[in-house]
Amino acid sequence: MNVRRYALGAACVFALAVPAFADTNVTILHVNEVAAARTLWDKIAADYNAAHPGVKVQFKYLENEAFKAKLPTMLQSDDRPDLFYSWGGGVMQAQDKAGLLKDVTADLTDAESKMSTTAVNAFKVDGKAVGVPFEMGEVAFYYNKKLFAQAGVKAEDIKSWDDFLDAVKKLKAAGITPLVVGAGEKWPMHFYYSYLVVRIGGDGALADAKANKNGGFKNATFVEAGKRLHELAALEPFQAGYLSTSHAQSAGVFGDGKAAMDLMGQWLLGMQAPNSASGKGLPDDDIGILSFPTVPGGKGKPTDTLGGVNGFVVSKSAPAAAVDFLKFFSQDKYAKEAAATSAYIPVVKGAETAITDPLQRRLADDLAASTYHQNFFDQDLGPSVGRVINDVSVAVAAGQTTPEAAAAAIQDAADQQ
Amino acid sequence: MRGRPSRRRMNALAAIAIFGALIVLAGVVLVPILATVLGGFKELGELRVNLLGLPRHWVWSSYWDILASARYWRVLGNSLLIALLTVTLTLALSSMAAFTFAHLKFFGDKFLLNYLLLGMLFPAATAILPLFIKIRDLGLLDSYWGVVLPQVAFSLAMAILLLRNAFKQLPTELLDAAMMDGCGYFRYFLFITLPLSGPILSTVAVISFVASWNGYLLPLVVLDSESRYPWTLGLMAYQGQYSTSWQLVLAFITLTILPAILMFLLAQRYIVAGLTAGAVKG
Amino acid sequence: MSTVEQAHFEPAKRMTANSWAVVVIFLPPALLLFTVFVALPMAEAAWYGFYNWNGYGRPDRFIGLKNYGYIFGNPVFGRALLNNGLVIAVSLFIQLPLALAVALAIAGRVTGAVAFRMIFFLPYVLADVGAGLIWRYMFDGDYGLAAAVAGGLGLQPVYLLASKDWAFTAVLVVIVWKYFGFYMMLYVAGLQSMDKSLLEAAEMDGAGPFQRFRHITLPLLGPMIRLSIFFSVVGSLQLFDIIVPLTGGGPFDTTHTMVSFLYYFGITRMRVGFGSAVGVVLFVICVGFAFGYRRAFMRND
Repeated sequence: MNVRRYALGAACVFALAVPAFADTNVTILHVNEVAAARTLWDKIAADYNAAHPGVKVQFKYLENEAFKAKLPTMLQSDDRPDLFYSWGGGVMQAQDKAGLLKDVTADLTDAESKMSTTAVNAFKVDGKAVGVPFEMGEVAFYYNKKLFAQAGVKAEDIKSWDDFLDAVKKLKAAGITPLVVGAGEKWPMHFYYSYLVVRIGGDGALADAKANKNGGFKNATFVEAGKRLHELAALEPFQAGYLSTSHAQSAGVFGDGKAAMDLMGQWLLGMQAPNSASGKGLPDDDIGILSFPTVPGGKGKPTDTLGGVNGFVVSKSAPAAAVDFLKFFSQDKYAKEAAATSAYIPVVKGAETAITDPLQRRLADDLAASTYHQNFFDQDLGPSVGRVINDVSVAVAAGQTTPEAAAAAIQDAADQQ
Repeated sequence: MRGRPSRRRMNALAAIAIFGALIVLAGVVLVPILATVLGGFKELGELRVNLLGLPRHWVWSSYWDILASARYWRVLGNSLLIALLTVTLTLALSSMAAFTFAHLKFFGDKFLLNYLLLGMLFPAATAILPLFIKIRDLGLLDSYWGVVLPQVAFSLAMAILLLRNAFKQLPTELLDAAMMDGCGYFRYFLFITLPLSGPILSTVAVISFVASWNGYLLPLVVLDSESRYPWTLGLMAYQGQYSTSWQLVLAFITLTILPAILMFLLAQRYIVAGLTAGAVKG
Repeated sequence: MSTVEQAHFEPAKRMTANSWAVVVIFLPPALLLFTVFVALPMAEAAWYGFYNWNGYGRPDRFIGLKNYGYIFGNPVFGRALLNNGLVIAVSLFIQLPLALAVALAIAGRVTGAVAFRMIFFLPYVLADVGAGLIWRYMFDGDYGLAAAVAGGLGLQPVYLLASKDWAFTAVLVVIVWKYFGFYMMLYVAGLQSMDKSLLEAAEMDGAGPFQRFRHITLPLLGPMIRLSIFFSVVGSLQLFDIIVPLTGGGPFDTTHTMVSFLYYFGITRMRVGFGSAVGVVLFVICVGFAFGYRRAFMRND
């Protein structure tokens, strides 16, 4: 008895002593400026640090462009972050190929089983997990209910592409700008093109094109997507001067109530008010969400979604504590808190029930029920091909290039990679 | 005074006309600057729709919050330190080299000058990766010198050209007289060349200061600690992935122009002092 | 009246011990710093031009001259070259003369000279991120200065930055606004370094202001003017910083310069090798100009 108690006591003392040897710093580099998210993350870090004395987890923020400029050099220095923000897709694959990422499949299978499969797959390269997602988003049409009512357009009636074009015509006839797009930055326009590809080609389209099957990017799906986009643009649905409008300006135009629809990601909800002329934007009650219409003859389903998947990838030299932190971070309770504070839409299954904002809830439900979720084209394909997609989307819409030439340009960029 | 009155009147009219033209030009030049300053007093949405007018309500909090934040003063201090180090080192190294090229002819002097010239001809943006590796290998990452030394290196070419040009224009009699008096090159450099080159030295100083002050890419890749960030990196706090608080950015930028203006005025004062010192006459 | 010739300073014919001491002490610091932080990185960057590399790890896909093929096959590069040419033309025929005119007016001790100098220099001091934003709003067809002007003239709203044909003109306006103060400062420095006694003597002799300018000021300012032309052309070829926040190269890639082309098509698309190759092409153009120009116009400078 005595010996056992003594041994137990010794074991306790030893256990308490061990963490004192492991004084580790874990740096997490990210670009998220949403206040609710940062507050939550700082809290998670604090909770973890408290529970694990000797480990200090710290989130570090860099602005988006600065992050992209600095990361390649930073990864070559001793100051490299242990975990860093990622949009998945081509950049992540390049980082993995350069040997900069760590395989964390074994450590995180547990946490990942609780997450949406699509999101988890977005952070796998060749079947191995190099990181963990935490956020998913959806691109959809945000529409101004009042302007719809004014033109006599009913959102429930817009199911197919032709319904959509009719709605656009009706809005125009009523003197309302049907669509606002920040084409000055190009990527907002590529949402149209991407969704058309997804609706027309279904869930294999992009993967096949990447693998150079069926003519690669020059196949009928991409050409038809271009044709449909051109068809839409021919109705002149965009706001005046759309080719030089920035994304922030377009959010302001929507918030001012000067355009009926904006095809955009979920962050628009946080942007339209501060960028509006009044500072108040549209009240939430006046905003509705409309899924991208289906295209007649297309293989895609109306429940297929397009949107970003964001997460953290693990640096090759990251200490065990970093991976451990990722498990801690991915817990259900934090996902629910993110949902409840509208920090972001979490990927943990079931956490979306905690969302209070009805618009965000609608997006989260769409994602949970999604039959095929596609990451942003310009992330998935990597920056070299991605930027060409951005360029040609605007060019096709503005009538500067034909759908066939656009598809060929994408294929060229893919070949030059 | 026996000047013809009509000529004097013409001169006076000409002076007024010129002054008027300057005022108009100054106004045109200032419009965007004023828009920047006023922008800090507006709300984000108003900035887009009411660019040139006075703010609907004067938002004092943008400027005030920045001035009251420790971050502003810290990044300002960092920028100032980096810029002053850059200017001092640039002036020192470039004036020494320019002097050598201006006065001395030796084997390889043309080659070396052309070598330095080449540095102006390649876009610096492409060299960031290898430059980073050099800085890292020298152990200068995340340090002020890691920013200062490359900045000096990049500004040498232009500075040397300007200074060499100016040094060569100083009258020859001075050097001849000095040499005859047994004054060596070093003393000539310190006591004659430099003092007489006030205008060009202060111009090079100002140009070098502004380039360093507005430098962004180099500090971004070299510095990791937020405590060392210059204001161009401190700006990131107001910028986001999808949305930027432009009114805060403009307020911040306005507040960071002030030290550059101060530097300019100081440098100009130095010229005036140099002029009244009555240097070369007679 | 004959033109004034500054006695050209002839370097010492013989190198003495004192001269050599100067060379050995004065040159190495600058040369060392330059070599380590400028020359070597540039050489390495040029070498990347032979690779297909995304910037991560080390370059390992050697493709020889293929990048150069891509460059010359890309129509945007041609447009960028043209744009650079336009910038040079505007610099030489509008910016420099304007800077000289202003410098002449305010180089001396005129009322408010320092204030004017500061005002005209301010655009150069304003960081590009701020200048780009403000000018983008200024050119906005709905709310900016362009809108006010169009409205005043009773025209339809004009979206300059959205127009393929007019966007670069708008960019040129911003360039003149931003950089003329820089050249003005150079000329002011040159004018202030001039020996005033020559001008005074000429005035005593009855020379009018234009004559004084043509026969005294201009020749004395000659070296500075030739140097400023050199800086202007080289600077125009390297122009980049203002393009990014103002137009990002658009619309339809009509407002790219060679360096912004390098940045957008090379660096941001993770094609570092391609970007480096563009850098080399730009370098060759600059070297060609630099040495040709110095040979032709700056022999004695």
